[in-house]
Amino acid sequence: NSHQLSSLPLQILFYVNGIYYTFYFLATLAMIVYKSQVFSYPDDFLAPDLTLLFIMAILEVLRLHLGSKGNLTEEEVPLGLSLAITVGSVILSVYFLVWQTYVLKADVIINTVLLLTYGLESVLKVTAITAFV
Amino acid sequence: PPEIHSASRARVRSGPAPVTDVAKLCVCDLLVAQCDVNCCCDPDCNAADFSLFTTCSVPVVTGDSHLCSQKAATYSLDVEANPPERIFKLIDQVNPSVFCIHATNYEQALSFPSPEIPTSENFDQLLKRFGSAAFSAEPDSWDAITDAQNPSDANETYRYKYGVPVQTVDMFLRLPSPVVSSWCSDMNPAGFLVNQATKCTRSISVEKCGDVEAVSMLFYLNSSILTVPKSSQMVNVTVHSVTFQSLNGTRTLLNGSDVLRLPMVLDELCVNIVLGVSYHITYTDTGEIIEAAASFVLGAINKEALSIQQSFEISFTQVDTKPVPLSGNPGYVVGLPVRAGFRPQGYPFPVLAALFLNSNKYNQLTILQSASNQDCLAAQGARAPVLFGYNIISGCKLRITAAMKCQPLTQTLLDLLKGQNFPEYVASFGNSQAQDVLEWVPITHLYISEQITSNTFQSPCQIPVLLEIEVKWTKYGSLVNPQARIVNVTASITTTALRPLPSGRERIIPVTSSVVFTEVSSPAEPGYKAWPTINIKLPFDFFFPFV
Repeated sequence: NSHQLSSLPLQILFYVNGIYYTFYFLATLAMIVYKSQVFSYPDDFLAPDLTLLFIMAILEVLRLHLGSKGNLTEEEVPLGLSLAITVGSVILSVYFLVWQTYVLKADVIINTVLLLTYGLESVLKVTAITAFV
Repeated sequence: PPEIHSASRARVRSGPAPVTDVAKLCVCDLLVAQCDVNCCCDPDCNAADFSLFTTCSVPVVTGDSHLCSQKAATYSLDVEANPPERIFKLIDQVNPSVFCIHATNYEQALSFPSPEIPTSENFDQLLKRFGSAAFSAEPDSWDAITDAQNPSDANETYRYKYGVPVQTVDMFLRLPSPVVSSWCSDMNPAGFLVNQATKCTRSISVEKCGDVEAVSMLFYLNSSILTVPKSSQMVNVTVHSVTFQSLNGTRTLLNGSDVLRLPMVLDELCVNIVLGVSYHITYTDTGEIIEAAASFVLGAINKEALSIQQSFEISFTQVDTKPVPLSGNPGYVVGLPVRAGFRPQGYPFPVLAALFLNSNKYNQLTILQSASNQDCLAAQGARAPVLFGYNIISGCKLRITAAMKCQPLTQTLLDLLKGQNFPEYVASFGNSQAQDVLEWVPITHLYISEQITSNTFQSPCQIPVLLEIEVKWTKYGSLVNPQARIVNVTASITTTALRPLPSGRERIIPVTSSVVFTEVSSPAEPGYKAWPTINIKLPFDFFFPFV
C-alpha cells in the first residue's frame, strides 16, 4: 500500500493535453495557410502570427515535459516551473483567441477548449504541489 | 509658427470615407433625385412609385459574406397587397460555416483601400510608382522589323520574296507616298514584286531650292540596293532616262542621260527638281535583284510655287523576259484580260516553239465593241478586250444595199467580228509564258450556217452575222485555293443567207458577237493519306519445328 502522492488525473490530463495540442498546432497552422490564400494577409501580419505559434509549440513541449516529470518524481520545483510556463501559454492562447489578424469560429472553438484544459491543469497542479510540499 | 502650419498641410489627404451601413447602400440608385425603376432601395422613390414596380433588382445588400454574423438589408415587393408595397427588413445574416470570420484585427481586411490623393508633397513619389509612358513611336524600330522578318539563321541563304521590302545599304528602297494627308512621307518601303504607283505633294519654294533633298536626283540614286537581303553585294541605281518638263507642261527627252542634274536657281526659277521617278527593277527567278534603273522627270518652279506634286512608280521585270502583264498567277483573276497569241507562219511545231504574242498590242483576246451610233462600218477597229469571267455581248447594225457584192461583204463582216489578227491560241493560265507551248489552248472554229430552203437554185450568199466565243474553264489545284484555268475555247460563226435585194432597196441586219464563260469543273475529290498499315514481320524461324 504505497503512499502515492503523484496525481493520476493530472497525469491523464497531461497525456490528453499532448495529443490535443498536436491537433491544435496542426489545425492552427492549416488555418493560417487557408487565411493567407483566401483573405488579404500581408506579410507584416503573417509573420507575428506564425512566430507566436511556433513559440507556443516550444513552450508547450517544455511545459508538458516539466509537469510530467515533476508529477511523477513528486518534486514541486519542475511542477512550479510548469505552472509558470502555463501562464505564458495562456497569454498566447488568448492572443490566438482575440488578437489574431483573422479570428475564425474554428479558432474560437479550439482556443476555448485549450484554455479550459489549461485551467483544469493549473488547478490540479496547485493541488499536487500542495500535496508534495 | 509656420512649421506647424506646413506640418498640418503635409497630412496626406484621402478620399471620402466609404459607406459601410447596409441600410444606406444602394447600387441601383443611379439617377440623382429621381426614382430608378425597379430599384427598391432608392430613397428617392415614394410609395406610389413602389406600387408600379414589378420586381426588386437588388433584393439584398450585405457586407462580406465571410463574416460569421452580419447585418443584411433585404428588399422585396409584396405583390399580394393592393397596391403592391415594398418591404424593407434589416436582418442578421449568419454564416453557418465553421470557418467564418469571427473578428478581424486588421482594418483593411474586408474592403478596398482608399487611394491616395496626390498633393504637392507626394506627387513625385506617386508618379514614380504609377506613372509610365503609354506609346513609344520611335523610328529606330525599323531594325526590329527586319529582324522579325528574317529569322536569324546564319546558314540560311536569303532570297527576296513577294512583299518583302527591298533593302538598301542602310534602309529600304523608299517610294514616297501620301500618308493620311497628301503630303509626301519618305518612309514607305517598296515591296519586292509589288508594282506600285503613288502621287504625293512636297512643299518647296525657290528660296529653299537646294535644301530639300527629296527633290534632287541624288536622293534617289545614292542608295545601293542589296541583291539579296542581308548580303554585301549591291546594285547601283542607274539613270535610264531623263525627261524635262517645262513650266507649261511640255515634256522633252534629254539625250545625255548619265549626267547628274542637281537643283539650282536659274533666272529666278528653281530648275532640275524631281517631279517623278520611275524605278525598273530586274530580278532573276531565284529572287535576286540584278539591275535597277530609274527614269526621272525633272521640272522647274517659279517664285509663286509653294508645293509640287511628285509621282513615283516601281515595276519589276524578270530577267530575259519581255514584260507582259499577267492576268493571274497562276489561275486567271476575274476581270483581267484573257491572254492570247498566234503561232507565226511557217513555224514547225516542235515542243519548244515559242508563240508570237502579237494578236493586239496587249496580247489579248478582243471582241467587237458596240458604238453609240450602232453602225458597223463607221466604228471599224474599236475593240474591247475580253475580260476573264465577264460575259459580253455586243453588236452593231449593218446597212446592206443592193450594190454590195457577196464576197467583199463576207470579208468585211469577218474582219468586223474577228478583228485584225484574231488569235489562234489562248493562254490556259494567267501567267503562261510564250515558251511553254503546252500551256496554250488552240481556238476551235465552228461554222454554222442557217439552212434556208429556197425555191430558186441560186446558191444563197452566206454572210456571217454572229460570232459566239465560248470559253470553258475549270477550277484547278487545291480545294482551298482553286485556280481558274481555261481548257477550251470555241469560236462559232453563224452565217445567214443573204437574199439578193431588189435595186434601190436596203436592208439592215444586226451583227452580234458574244463571249460566254462556262465552268466545267469536275467535282473536287479530297485526297487522303494512305491508311496506316500494321507492319508485322515474324522472325524467319518462328515456326521452327514445323517449318
